[in-house]
Order: sequence, then C-alpha cells, then structure tokens
Amino acid sequence: MAAITNLTRAVTYRGREGQIAWMLHRLTGVGVFFFLALHIIDIFLMAFGPQVFNSLLFFYHQWLFKFAIVFGLYPGVVYHGLNGIRVILIDFWPDLGKKQAMLFRVQIVVFLIIYIPSAIIMLIKMFGGHA
Amino acid sequence: MQFSPARPRPASNFELYSWWFMRISALVMILLVGFHLFYMHVILGVDTIDFDVIAQRWQSPFWRLFDLFMLVFAWLHCTNGVRTVTDDYIRSQGWRTLAKTGLYILAFVIIVLGAYVIFTF
Repeated sequence: MAAITNLTRAVTYRGREGQIAWMLHRLTGVGVFFFLALHIIDIFLMAFGPQVFNSLLFFYHQWLFKFAIVFGLYPGVVYHGLNGIRVILIDFWPDLGKKQAMLFRVQIVVFLIIYIPSAIIMLIKMFGGHA
Repeated sequence: MQFSPARPRPASNFELYSWWFMRISALVMILLVGFHLFYMHVILGVDTIDFDVIAQRWQSPFWRLFDLFMLVFAWLHCTNGVRTVTDDYIRSQGWRTLAKTGLYILAFVIIVLGAYVIFTF
C-alpha cells in the first residue's frame, strides 16, 4: 500500500518539466546500469575464444532484443546524456535555471533530431534484407 | 541565544568530489559513448559484430585504451549513480549497507573482468 501511495504522490507532485526530467534521468540511469553489467560480462566472454563468444551472440540477434535496444536502451542512453548536459549547464550557469522548462523543450527537440534518423538506420540494418 | 549552523559541515569532501566526478565523467562519456554507439550501431550494425570484429579492433592499442576508459568511467558513473538512488530509497540502515556492499563488490568484479579481457586479449 505504501508503495502505491508513494507512486501516486510521485506522479501527482506538481514538479512539471523538472520532475519529469529528473524521474526519466533516474529511470534511464538505473536501466543502463543493468544493461551495462550484462554488456561488460558478455565482452569478458571474448577471453574464452570465438566458439564461446559467437555461440552466445544469438541472444543479441533476436528480434526481441533488437527492439529492446532501439526502443529502450538506445533512447534511454541518448536521453540520459542530453539531460545530463542540461543539468551541467544549469549547474555552472545558474541563471539558466530560470529558463529550465524552455531548455527541457529544446532538449526534447535535440533528442528527436538525434534519435529518429539513427533509430531508422539501426532498424534498417537490423531488419532490412535479412530478418 | 546559541544558534547551531543550518547545515553541519560535512566530515569529508567525498560528496563534493563525487559531484565533480559525475560531471567530468559525463562529459568524457558524451564523446566516448557517443562515438561507440554511432560506430557500432549506426555504421556497423549489431548483426555484423562478432568475435573477429572485436579481435581485430583490439589489435590497436588505441581501441584497447578507448574501451578501457569507457569501462572505468561508465562503470564508476553507474556505481555512483546507483549509490545516490540507494541513499534516497533504502531507509533502513542495515539494508542500505548491504545494498551498497553488493554494489561495490559488483563494481570491483565488473571492472576487473572488463580490464582483464582488454589487457590480456
């Protein structure tokens, strides 16, 4: 019950852009933490030679995992990076804090400019020609 | 009348260094991870990557160093971020200590495994 109350409070707290940005930063940060642990361990398997390493690549070649990369991990990393830049800018130039909501909208536009074309290229490479 | 300071002086500068580290590692990673994602996923694509591709890349000391920097900066940034999340959400001191102990052991294991394969390959 406490968890549900906290969740309701978290969503209805009127923090607007700043709160959404902060929540997404946490969410994407923790998400990348778990993926990165997996990713470093899979690269460690390079030490066991080509048979072992290549035989485990099927995991990354599944369509479900590819979808998770293009629609979860990749936008998550791009968001976390761009939001981090916004946080750093406001930290070092505090006057920008007055325009933080506008900066967040600029950030969304920059995100879409980076994400949409690169995600399309990734999808074409993943599913175009051979599926 | 005696006033106590609103904010007690911290016992160490650890949190200040941690703040700086997050910002410096972030800027380093914007370049390193940005290039990594662009090259591996937009130029190459996940289906073309296999043992030979990585083995060939690690022939060059530059790429070994690149990957090593990415490993250390990314994992320490991750660990410090999750440490903050742990402090925020785990209220019981016992569970928090346990979670952080696990976090630091994981950090040690991940960095040792990653560095091992980069150095010995």
